[in-house]
Amino acid sequence: MSEKKKRRRSDPALGMLMAEMLFFFLGFLQLAIQGAKWESFLLALVVPAIIFAGNEILPRLYPSDRLLLSLTNFLCALSVLVLYRWDAATGLSQAVSYGVGVVAMILCVLFARYIPQWKRFTPLLILGSFAFLALPAFLGKEINGAKNWISLGGFSAQPSEFVKLPLLLVLSYFLSQRKVVWAILFAGGCLVFLGIQRDLGTAIVYYGVLLCMLYALTGSLALVGGLAGGSIAALAGMYFIFQSRFHQLFEYVNNRLAIWRDLWKDAPNQITYGLMAVVNGGPFGTGVGLGNAGYNTRTHGGIPYAENDFIFPTIIHEFGMVFGLILLCMYGFIIVRAIMIARRSRSAFHSLLCIGCAALISIQSFIIIAGNFKLIPLTGVTLPFLSAGGSSMVSSLCVIGFLQGVASRNEAGVHEDRALAMQGGEAE
Amino acid sequence: MKQMRKNALRLAALFCALFAAVSAYAVYIVSSNEARLMSSTYNTYAREQRARAVRGDILDRNGVVLATSDSEDHRTYHADPQVRAATAHAVGVNSYRMASSADYMFSAYLYGLKLSFPERLSYMLQGKRTKGDNVRLTIDSRLSVYAASRFPADKKGAIVVMNYQTGELLVLQSFPSFDPQDESSLSAARTSNYATGTKKAPGSTFKIVTAASAMQNFPDFAEKTYVCEGVISFPARPVVDAGTRLAEGTITRHGQTTMQHAFAVSCNNTFAQIALELGDEALRKTAEDFGFNDNFLFSDLVVENSAYPAGQRADVDVAWTGVGQSSLAVTPLHMCMIASTVANDGVMMEPRTLKAVTAQSGRQRMGSSPRVYRRPLSVEQAAVLKDYMRAVVTAGTGRSAAIEGKKVCGKTGSAELDNQEKTNAWFVGFLDEPDAPYAVAVVVENAGGGGSVAAPIARALFAWLLENDVNGEEATP
Repeated sequence: MSEKKKRRRSDPALGMLMAEMLFFFLGFLQLAIQGAKWESFLLALVVPAIIFAGNEILPRLYPSDRLLLSLTNFLCALSVLVLYRWDAATGLSQAVSYGVGVVAMILCVLFARYIPQWKRFTPLLILGSFAFLALPAFLGKEINGAKNWISLGGFSAQPSEFVKLPLLLVLSYFLSQRKVVWAILFAGGCLVFLGIQRDLGTAIVYYGVLLCMLYALTGSLALVGGLAGGSIAALAGMYFIFQSRFHQLFEYVNNRLAIWRDLWKDAPNQITYGLMAVVNGGPFGTGVGLGNAGYNTRTHGGIPYAENDFIFPTIIHEFGMVFGLILLCMYGFIIVRAIMIARRSRSAFHSLLCIGCAALISIQSFIIIAGNFKLIPLTGVTLPFLSAGGSSMVSSLCVIGFLQGVASRNEAGVHEDRALAMQGGEAE
Repeated sequence: MKQMRKNALRLAALFCALFAAVSAYAVYIVSSNEARLMSSTYNTYAREQRARAVRGDILDRNGVVLATSDSEDHRTYHADPQVRAATAHAVGVNSYRMASSADYMFSAYLYGLKLSFPERLSYMLQGKRTKGDNVRLTIDSRLSVYAASRFPADKKGAIVVMNYQTGELLVLQSFPSFDPQDESSLSAARTSNYATGTKKAPGSTFKIVTAASAMQNFPDFAEKTYVCEGVISFPARPVVDAGTRLAEGTITRHGQTTMQHAFAVSCNNTFAQIALELGDEALRKTAEDFGFNDNFLFSDLVVENSAYPAGQRADVDVAWTGVGQSSLAVTPLHMCMIASTVANDGVMMEPRTLKAVTAQSGRQRMGSSPRVYRRPLSVEQAAVLKDYMRAVVTAGTGRSAAIEGKKVCGKTGSAELDNQEKTNAWFVGFLDEPDAPYAVAVVVENAGGGGSVAAPIARALFAWLLENDVNGEEATP
């Protein structure tokens, strides 16, 4: 009994859980004191309780990776806190997405764990992906030059976010069967749809995932480098050929390239607004609720699209640059953890699936954060877990679900091995 | 499977490297652009703190209080209207967005954003508004008042005085000035900082850059000779020298000349030939080494970037660029930095206006130290150019800047502008004296020749600097 107690006390996951709960308790408490709203007081109690439940109940349902669970819960709850701070309605709807996402995540855990043969589902997934990607052409609305949203009865969703999941599964299946050409054809098909929607950011993410998975399977830098180089050359070629003819189409691209080359070209631009918010925050931030960079304060110093593309600088503004670097480390931990799960898994399919998940999260968060800081030209994609938006939240949590599923599968495999070994030992 | 595990590890390394790169770049871009982002007129955060803070004082280098705030954060300025006018552009006023003024640039200190947590807490517990830090500038108010008294009344222009070894600015003035205490004297035109924000053709002062380029590209520049026939006939705009009236038939000719002589007498014809011989590409490279087309991300000042025109250009434009015309555009501060580079053995210092930040307790929060901006010249090249600029003052167009027994160096300029009756008078130069390492740039718009209008003002400033010690008196705070 006492030994068990001791073990519990020294459990690092428990300490982390407590720290997370305290973080959100204090965060919402500060908002509550400032705004004097009962709702915020309630959230100060409810959000830590949900985090506690999430971290304690889920591992009882299936053997799971506690660190991964803890980190994703932190990021998602942070998203709710930050969005709620700027606009209560957005924050609450993000909380609902978080809840839906957790349910979807558990389903994905079960899928990844208990479905050993994806062969039967693959044709269905392929057809489903194409159908889903084609939807915006009929039901779509255009936002920021990309037509990648569908809107149905008050709900809007971004199909390209959800198609990431079948993409991962189908690519893993094809590549585990060494059907490289099929994998490339399928990803190419998805890219054609994304090209029609002019959703360049998501296209880059899809393509990057394909390349990473190809590399993992073949280990051939020539193949992957050739594909990457070839497509960059093709894009650049298209840019130079069509730039003058379709001026309107390339206006966004030209704008962003100009700002990338010279930050102060068209200042103030979106990036300088983001950087101003970061500079104003300093290393330790202005404090929750004390900043002015949010999207509902756009008339005086706010960042355009603070709630999705620029969520990262918006967070840094109030929490500080040091916290921003810690967030980057958290993404790093999630990715390293995913690769560790991939290395422990016993089938090529599951290993590839985890590598795909790691690639997806890292490429997507790299593209947007590096874009925020002008390391690369800005391309609009959501930041997994943190950006506002249900589609992104649910699909990101499903990706974590896949990882958890494979992790629990690995764990079960280890138990089986041990049991077999022990039986063998007895027989001898 | 084994191979795949190895590849997975490599991918993990790649992803971690990407994230490390983003972290490092984020820290880099934020810190390198910090001053500019902080002081941007679009950045409202510091000013939104006004309700919670009382701004600190702004002092000159000797501790003279130039601006102070009462408990309601109403600014009052120095009692003497001459001091107010002479330091107005460096200090700034509330009602105008003066990006380069101390009130904007150092708002993070003035509004107390750099206060430590215990300090904030103590203000909070006392129930008082936070009092921001005091900012001490490098500006010398006495010299500024003297400079203003020498500048021709009712003319537009600027005076910059800089310590070329440390980059400290002693004078940063634009004319006509205004009185920050008097609302009726404020206007967008008067409050704009000519020295950092107005870029126009530098005229012959740009020959410093052309000569530097020739030194870098022609190994035999010292022996080379040129023949000035008076006119290089381009149909669009023939290159001629000052004094030439083509319609009346009077033509100034310098005959056979070396670069040094041509520099001293400011021969356009020779420098046009040098520019054509160098070519646009080589001249642009040297100009960009000197900071043309750069964003000047200085931490104390926002300086408009100087322009060396881009793209393929006709010979006539290249020729006129060599003598500082065509579409070249420079701020007076940047020309002062170029002269300073020659004086400082080829090292261009970053101009600074912030000397120190002091907390209300008297503790120094931050001191400022010299920062190198660029090294466009070698020590040898700088020494040769220094001789050239010395010759301008001893035997050339800048004789009216000379001071008996003291080594004054400089270059005059008379920039021609469209829609203007007279030329803009320029003088950039420096004292080659170890005790008085100061460079000046003087611009008087629509006033005539640089040698006759701008050089005497520079001479007066040099004389003042030699007589007075700007680091001597430390006023007790």
